[in-house]
Amino acid sequence: MPGRLRVQRPSPTTVSFTVSNASPRSSSPAKILFGIQILLRAVLFCCVIVGLTARLRHLVLFQGENLAQWQAIWSSPFGAHLCSLVDKYNSWAMAVVSVLVIYGVFKRGYTEESLLVIRGFGIQTSTSSSTYLSSAATRFISTTQIQDIVIHEAFKGFEVRFYLAVIVEGEPDVLVVFPANDTGF
Amino acid sequence: MPYNIAMVSDFFFPQSGGIESHIYQLSSKLIDRGHKVIIITHAYKGRTGVRYLTNGLKIYHVPFFVIYRETTFPTVFSFFPIFRNIVIREQIDIVHGHASLSSFCGEAILHARTMGLRTVFTDHSLFGFADAASILTNKLLKFTLSDVDHAICVSHTCKENTVLRASLDPLMVSVIPNAVVAENFCPLSYYPRTHDQIPISPADPRPSPTPIGPNDTITIVVISRLFYNKGTDLLIAAIPRILASNPNTRFIIAGSGPKAIDLEQMLERNVLQDKVEMLGSVRHEEVRDVMVRGHIYLHPSLTEAFGTVIVEAASCGLYVVCTRVGGIPEVLPQHMTTFAKPEEDDLVVATSKAIAALRSNKVRTDRFHDQVKMMYSWRDVAERTERVYQGIIGDISPSEFYGSYPDQGWDVSGDRVRSFALIDRLKRYYGCGVWAGKLFCLCVVIDFLIFVFLEMWFPRANIDIARSWPKKQPLDKLRTHSIRNSK
Repeated sequence: MPGRLRVQRPSPTTVSFTVSNASPRSSSPAKILFGIQILLRAVLFCCVIVGLTARLRHLVLFQGENLAQWQAIWSSPFGAHLCSLVDKYNSWAMAVVSVLVIYGVFKRGYTEESLLVIRGFGIQTSTSSSTYLSSAATRFISTTQIQDIVIHEAFKGFEVRFYLAVIVEGEPDVLVVFPANDTGF
Repeated sequence: MPYNIAMVSDFFFPQSGGIESHIYQLSSKLIDRGHKVIIITHAYKGRTGVRYLTNGLKIYHVPFFVIYRETTFPTVFSFFPIFRNIVIREQIDIVHGHASLSSFCGEAILHARTMGLRTVFTDHSLFGFADAASILTNKLLKFTLSDVDHAICVSHTCKENTVLRASLDPLMVSVIPNAVVAENFCPLSYYPRTHDQIPISPADPRPSPTPIGPNDTITIVVISRLFYNKGTDLLIAAIPRILASNPNTRFIIAGSGPKAIDLEQMLERNVLQDKVEMLGSVRHEEVRDVMVRGHIYLHPSLTEAFGTVIVEAASCGLYVVCTRVGGIPEVLPQHMTTFAKPEEDDLVVATSKAIAALRSNKVRTDRFHDQVKMMYSWRDVAERTERVYQGIIGDISPSEFYGSYPDQGWDVSGDRVRSFALIDRLKRYYGCGVWAGKLFCLCVVIDFLIFVFLEMWFPRANIDIARSWPKKQPLDKLRTHSIRNSK
């Protein structure tokens, strides 16, 4: 899917180019859809946590009155129903499903890459991580290290693509600026 | 009507050879004529991806699996996705394949026809009909050429061979010879003419070359790869006899190959080391320096489609002795060559005759260079190739392109303008043989299905169009422009 380019000028001497393959959220239905998606992720996350707690209720951590009134919770009608429900499943199967769901909840559905150009100072590239848990990987290259910046073509999969690359002094490989997105220079 | 042309072959630089330099020279001259040319070849060691050569000639080195002597593995369909991508992004109109042993070329022609592009094929080699390998190669060639729009051969002998091998209509095969860059093959003492002189004037103001006396040494040069088909066995048999019957004769042999050891054994057996110099393999740019050391060029080849090397030798001002095989007799005019049958006795006689002719100073070898320059030029090759392109695209009418033959009982434009309809293509492939025809049809149908699938999976809209190399302005336009600016 081709990425969308957004150009921002935070100050007169800096320009930020951001390429993202996320679907645009400009119209109100798209915004509502995005809200529902966040809500769904939160609900799913809660479900997994509650389910896991119920499955592991025999552990010392969930006994007594250390965090909550555990005994009261497990004996309440809802708690009893939940316990009987989760006890039907194999604990390993539950563990695998929980890990998958948590991964899905935190997975970012898109990659956002940006290039920040600061006049007379250097450029900074950043690539968003694949989950919401870790921060973006950034790299700064000062002007003195940049030998050249080129746009060239390369084979990628079954395609020939354009790419923007920075030739950094003293490094054997070039640094490709938007590696994940098809920018279509 | 500039065209966008894709040259496809397994063989291209950094490997050096006749086909490689043919593709390069033809492409650069076509670019000079205003066309856009790209070259698609497989990746060589340390050379992958997209590269540019002089004049904006763009090379795609596609990563691919190489099996034998720089030929890729023939996988009929696997090249299609990337080929389609390149063809769309470069907006190609004509696909021009080179060399019958290149599987890239065969695949590209099949896919290009499926995509609805015009195709041309250039054959650079001669093949036999008898042995198993030739039969297989000929079947493959038939597969490639069943649906091609036009074929080009480097000599009339080559055309005859190709027409027979691939059962083609002779009118669909053109003959366009190779050429040489004459400037790279100048004789040792060459005074270039100034431009205001008439090209060939009877009163040549240049000094006549120093005549060869009866006791001066005559040097015979042989430059060839030392393989069986290049006639090295003939050479081994002939050298002692030539040296015995002609005193004051020397040999210079350049090239390497499996027959080099036989040649060295012959030298040792006859104690001829002081008369025969072996140089080993030389690079193409050094060939001229070796050639200008001699007076006669001996070419004992057993089979040859064109024989560029004898044109290069004549351009260097050497008298040529060669065997009358393949396309060789078409290459040079009578007064530059002595022909021999491809057998030992005749080769010895012909060489002795040539030595005698040189000693009597009957041959004006100093004029050869200018004559060759008039006969062979890449610009001429490019012009003739361009006419082929015009013919298949339809910019010149079929009757003009194929010639008009009234009252012959057949129509010129009949089947020659190849339609892209699948059913017509299948008909052409079906006629290739009892089993082969059905197999070929199956391949074509699968290829078409892959094409439909690719159109859905990688839609055209998502493929970026590559920018063309900025064209140079023609010289006269540039000049008027600068004059206007200075005013």
